[in-house]
Amino acid sequence: MSVLLILLAAVFLPLFPMSLAFNALAARITSTYVQVALFIAWPQIGVAIILWGDLAPAGGLLVAWAILSAILYAFRLLTIREAGRWAAMLASSAWPLVWLFVMQRPSDANVIGFALAMSAAPVLMLLVRSALARRLEAAYTGLHGGLARDLPRLSGVIVVTTLAAMALPLFPGFFALLALLGGATPGIALGVLLTWLLWSWAGARLLQGTVFGPRSGPIAEDLSATTTWTFTSLVVLLVVSGLLWTGGVL
Amino acid sequence: MIETQWLIPFLPFLSALLVHLFGARRGKRVAQLSVGINLVVVLVAVFQLITYIARDTGPQWTAMAGGWGSLQIDPLSAIMALVVAGISLVVHIYSIRYMIEEPGYARFFMLLDLMTGSILLMVMAGDLITLLVAWHLIGVFLYFLLAHNTEPVNAQRYAFWTFITYRLGDLPLVLAAMVLFQAYGALDFPTLFARIEATPDARTFLDLPVAGTVAFLVALAAFAKSAQFPLHTWLPYSMEGPTPVSALMHAGIVNAGGIIINRFAPVFVHSSEVLHLLFVVGLFTAVLGSMLMLAQNDIKKSLGYSTVGQMGFMIMETGAGAFALAIFHLIAHGLFKGTLFLGAGKVIGAARKHDGVPNDPLYDFLVERKPAPARLPWLLIGAAMLIVPLVILVLAHAWVAPDFFQKQGAIVLLFFGWITGVQVLFASHRLDTENPLRMMALIVLSFAVIVVGYSVIGHSFESFLYPDTEFREALYAAAGIDQITFGVLIVLLALVMVAGWLGAYLTHVRRQRVDREHGRTWLTLYSLFSHEFYVADLYNRMTVSMLALSRRLNSWLRWG
Repeated sequence: MSVLLILLAAVFLPLFPMSLAFNALAARITSTYVQVALFIAWPQIGVAIILWGDLAPAGGLLVAWAILSAILYAFRLLTIREAGRWAAMLASSAWPLVWLFVMQRPSDANVIGFALAMSAAPVLMLLVRSALARRLEAAYTGLHGGLARDLPRLSGVIVVTTLAAMALPLFPGFFALLALLGGATPGIALGVLLTWLLWSWAGARLLQGTVFGPRSGPIAEDLSATTTWTFTSLVVLLVVSGLLWTGGVL
Repeated sequence: MIETQWLIPFLPFLSALLVHLFGARRGKRVAQLSVGINLVVVLVAVFQLITYIARDTGPQWTAMAGGWGSLQIDPLSAIMALVVAGISLVVHIYSIRYMIEEPGYARFFMLLDLMTGSILLMVMAGDLITLLVAWHLIGVFLYFLLAHNTEPVNAQRYAFWTFITYRLGDLPLVLAAMVLFQAYGALDFPTLFARIEATPDARTFLDLPVAGTVAFLVALAAFAKSAQFPLHTWLPYSMEGPTPVSALMHAGIVNAGGIIINRFAPVFVHSSEVLHLLFVVGLFTAVLGSMLMLAQNDIKKSLGYSTVGQMGFMIMETGAGAFALAIFHLIAHGLFKGTLFLGAGKVIGAARKHDGVPNDPLYDFLVERKPAPARLPWLLIGAAMLIVPLVILVLAHAWVAPDFFQKQGAIVLLFFGWITGVQVLFASHRLDTENPLRMMALIVLSFAVIVVGYSVIGHSFESFLYPDTEFREALYAAAGIDQITFGVLIVLLALVMVAGWLGAYLTHVRRQRVDREHGRTWLTLYSLFSHEFYVADLYNRMTVSMLALSRRLNSWLRWG
């Protein structure tokens, strides 16, 4: 029973190759709203299964599996060019870390908080993908570069989202990772840090392929002031929640 | 005092927000706002330092809420806050005109403020989490400052190098914080350092000593931030960014390594092996940076490698146990390197008008009617070069701190001071002058004034930064090695230096023969130097291979 439950949870808190299901589903959905809902709900189902079945790993194979899955997807993220796919891969790399966090036996609320913190950046990236696709017909990095010159607001949004994806301060991902590392063993810590480093590399490549570089691609309209302020409010909300919630460990 | 200290890191962040909000409305005048607020920061930092010295109450710590989000006032944070705020203010003022025609004027000042706030937060952090937040933010804002001009491909490329090296330096510090938290169960520095002092022999994973492990990880973090070999390649190439950023970076940001090592001095005092590692890496980087500096033909890149060398010296000083001297060094270096960068444009402008190449002595003699240059006899100057700096250094230190010579670290530093003095006298001797005796006397006098001044200020500064004499002695003791090995190493180093000087002299006098016989060797060496020992090429090759593997994986797994 517990093996089946673990396998089921491994679909929702994706461990490779079970993660293929989530990535395939995310690629098929075209509506941004449905995608956002999926990205928020999907790991929470996994969290619910783990908490209900008391499946917190004590170490060993499952932990190694989670670390390798996180590293594998972070490594693959380096050369992903489509922003929607990028968001899904980032999620596939971030969500396995929930397995490592539950090892520390945190409270249920903190596990849910951790999974939400790990979902924040992929969700923001979905919004960026939508904004890019609407203006440039495609949301590929390296296709229409140098957006900073003509589209400063959209560029600002991409920058902030990418910083969140890199789990840099003061975004919730940063505190979530600190909470995870606060109770981690050296092996787990090294795996998490490698994943973190790969996110940074992938994020910098994303910025170089979109915001920076010589301007190329069609002329497009920048984000409206209202949309920018809405996004800013969302980010401020995330930052404040990240500052208030530090995972319960720190 | 404890309330005003919050203003120091907080005001630059507020300035950044105001610049962003009013950037469109106030246009270029937004810079005045930024400069005005930074001036207030400098005044508050001055007030804080004076109050700290006047009250003499010892280090103070305050938190906003909970165990993190705290600041600490101690000699290190008080002095560094003033230095950082001061240099940042100068860079702000310089940028008002320098950046006037650049796109993104308000964005530049916003980023400058954010960077200033982050560095100030780093030097004043009172706990591990605040330190980590500031440590991470410095790398992020430096990336955006270097990439301020968003279009040139090279600027982006080198900004990326810097960013990824800084990220490599962020992660060991995270690991160090994790080990400390797990071992001692505290985040704030006062509690943490008190517990380390109480149980310095605590063990962590694989039964490793906590102090040694943490010191090693902090050293790795410092190596990345302060451009130590093999993580030095980003620094000379970061010159693609705007000049004010180069000035701020070389005068303030790269010093982060020395600051963090000093902050964790209570850990390093229990980690002799890591101090030795610091010494070796610092020495190697100092030599490498200085050699590569000489091989450059671009003034900014040459200054970049000069900074690599200086940072090597700084790290080496910490490895010799002279923690306070490293801070004194980084402040002095920050001031002169910032000045050099801000004046680099003027030098380039002047060089376009006059190439600075001295006239042929024969031309001067016949056309300009100037007497032929004269030189002192080589035997006299050779003896003076070797003896005079040594005598000045020994006398100056004997006068300021007679017990100084009992520390191995002090001997090492005197040794390097002696070599520097010899080089100065040698360089002066080679200058063309009508009255070589007067010039040599003036140079010796200047050297003596500098050495005495440096010794007096250096020792006073050490007493201010580390008032506990026992702790200072313990740092020197931890950096020491057994006397026989030390003596052998010093003699060996002296022989290497003398052999180097002899080699240089013989190469000079037998130039044609040496060129004929060793032409290929020179070419190989030149190739190595001009390619900066292929370190950057190696990283490039590794990057390309990893990206190719990532693409292949994505292709095999059908992007799922």
